[in-house]
Amino acid sequence: MGFNVRFDWTGSIGEVILGATKSDGGTRRVSYRIGGGTTLPFLDKNPSSPAPLIAFEICDNPVLWPPIIRNYCGDQVNNIQEWAKAADTTYGADMIRLYLTSTRQRNFSDIPAVGKAVETALSATSLPLIIEGSNDPKIDSDIFQKCGEVGQGERLLLGTAEASRYRSIAAAALAYNHALIAQSPIDVNLAKQLNILLREIGIQRDHIVIDPYTGTLGYGFEYSYSAMERIRFSALKGDTDLAMPMICSAPDTLTIKEVREADLDGQDDMAVKWEFYTSLAAAVAGAEIVCVRHPKTIGMLKLAFASLKNGTGSMEVR
Amino acid sequence: MALKALDIYKLLPKKNCKECGDPTCLTFAMKLAGGKADVDLCPYLDDTSKTVLGATTRPPIRLVRIGVGERSFAVGEEFVLYRHEKTFYHPPGILFKVSDAHIPDEIVSVTKRVRDESFIRVGADLRFNGIAIENTSNSADTFAKSVETVEKMADLPLVLISPNADALTAALAHCGTYRPLIHAATNKNFKEMCALAKQHGCPLVIKARHLDELGQLAKDCTAEGVQDLVMDLSPASLRDFISLSTEIRQLAITRTAPDLGYPVYFDATAGGIQDAGIAIGILKYASVIVTNPLLPSSAKAALTLRQNVYTDPQKPIQMNPGLYRIGTPGKDAPVLMTVNFSLTFFTLEGYLESTRIPCFMLIVDTEGLSVLTAVASGKLNEILVRDSLIKFGVESEVSHRNLIIPGYAAPLSGRIEEATGWKVLVGPRDAAEIGEFLNEEWKK
Repeated sequence: MGFNVRFDWTGSIGEVILGATKSDGGTRRVSYRIGGGTTLPFLDKNPSSPAPLIAFEICDNPVLWPPIIRNYCGDQVNNIQEWAKAADTTYGADMIRLYLTSTRQRNFSDIPAVGKAVETALSATSLPLIIEGSNDPKIDSDIFQKCGEVGQGERLLLGTAEASRYRSIAAAALAYNHALIAQSPIDVNLAKQLNILLREIGIQRDHIVIDPYTGTLGYGFEYSYSAMERIRFSALKGDTDLAMPMICSAPDTLTIKEVREADLDGQDDMAVKWEFYTSLAAAVAGAEIVCVRHPKTIGMLKLAFASLKNGTGSMEVR
Repeated sequence: MALKALDIYKLLPKKNCKECGDPTCLTFAMKLAGGKADVDLCPYLDDTSKTVLGATTRPPIRLVRIGVGERSFAVGEEFVLYRHEKTFYHPPGILFKVSDAHIPDEIVSVTKRVRDESFIRVGADLRFNGIAIENTSNSADTFAKSVETVEKMADLPLVLISPNADALTAALAHCGTYRPLIHAATNKNFKEMCALAKQHGCPLVIKARHLDELGQLAKDCTAEGVQDLVMDLSPASLRDFISLSTEIRQLAITRTAPDLGYPVYFDATAGGIQDAGIAIGILKYASVIVTNPLLPSSAKAALTLRQNVYTDPQKPIQMNPGLYRIGTPGKDAPVLMTVNFSLTFFTLEGYLESTRIPCFMLIVDTEGLSVLTAVASGKLNEILVRDSLIKFGVESEVSHRNLIIPGYAAPLSGRIEEATGWKVLVGPRDAAEIGEFLNEEWKK
């Protein structure tokens, strides 16, 4: 019969470069060119993107970090150097996302400490970095300026711009040639609007990664899943204001009831499975960077992604 | 080309006989146009009209029921590639696989688990759907005995997996009247398999390597008189499954390949990571998913993903309005008002529980709208808050008159104070900050 499947789209996802190697003026051992997809995730015959990439999230002040990770990672969580290094060499992450959680205390003003934290992460690992700055308009300008400056030449991914506060982060991205994360609350139109705002102040499309905001599995994940599918679909249909790669992080995953109330010896497993199902589903919807906090989720996702990217892991049993 | 209801109506007998179950031919025509009814329900249609209508009005993916009774489930009758285009209607059945080479105790314990285990979330009872019994022993007797063991314990939908018609015949002697799904007919054995499926009135899995072979096999089986088919795509990898399953869904819903308009079967046990297989199966259009028995963590995550993806995106999920308790709140416990959008409810509930401060949640009926949209649309207003305080008897539960409202409802604070006589405290916009808020503002 010879079936010929046709989808009526001709657009493609724009590309974004993360991390700069020596030849590009940075010190990273690898640089990722994500995006470039021309159809639904995992259907491209010869995908050019190495996605989905797995980013491991760490922070510079673990007080509010999920207890389950503080238990699992131990003293490491108080030491960016060791934690970032372990994420790279032991856990096998593709990227590291450093949350500057110290900036979220009241009246934070120690800007040099922020620069130090970013420097430490850069020296601890040669993987491309995502730096998650402050979320207080009063200090945004100083914090992002500092992060941008310390990471100059490294092509960081800076987070996070929102419709109500994007100027400081955009200024730092522009000044030091970094990419940035643009987050909108689970809505394709709001995502587009923010991208237009960013474009108007001079951020090029190839410097934007969309974060459609991810509700964790069982807590609104379906809205995020559909928002991601819509963004991908609009991009393929030719809307260049939405044709950027996406990042997915579901920060509430490790504090939900299912994880908190799991049997003590099954708690890590519950956390890992919850992150795994959420991240895998996000990748299927179009996320090119998925962020996790439990080290054990990384290995599981890597195997699954290998099977999805290259068709390894044969299903022939009979 | 899909026909419009009026075009369909012209072909109907216009007798309004009600024999199809609809009050008039016009309402029947409207159902046909929406793919919600089968032309065969009309006893007076001539063959030509039937052929014309059948090809365009039948649901693009056939509805197939597996099992009988309370636990039976129906799959198929899907219309879209993306859930946001409409919704996904029939969640996949997930069945635990046992081998007839296992000791009976093991088969018994898996069957018990599927029969009894359930997990309640957002007011729904989530369960696995049945047992797939595989004839790895190669013995017809052993296979039949295992099926009998399961059958004695529970009225669960079954999949009978064997390449051997004799083994299936022996098994069907025990369970043939309960509509088990037979796995599988291939281009070599389809005549025998169809005879069995027809004899017992059971649905049948067809299995082939390529889409055109599957289409041909579907044609051959329907010619043998078996209409209730399910397709095993024999994927070489997870990637292959996504690609085949997406192609089939697209070909079926656009009615490009009516011979592929059947639900999809997926065995997640093969390949690298079973959890990945289950997730991909749920997301990418599988209707019957077979897996090894799952650990509690995978079980919860898989059932939750299925619930999420098959939630109708056209309707916000709602909680029943009312007064909910966190811990055992006393007369001086805080009262927090919010909307009945379930996502808002569960998020806030989670954070409140982790504060370990006993309190009341007053959930008001905004028809499932979130705080932001309910304030914007006027659904959340001072009258609703006043009526809810009265209706749910909040005044007799606490000795104080302080109401905490969501940060996004701040514009209403004055009006709520006037209408209710309660003092209003404006809480944080983000539920994550509720612990800090209660500790600093409430304890003062």
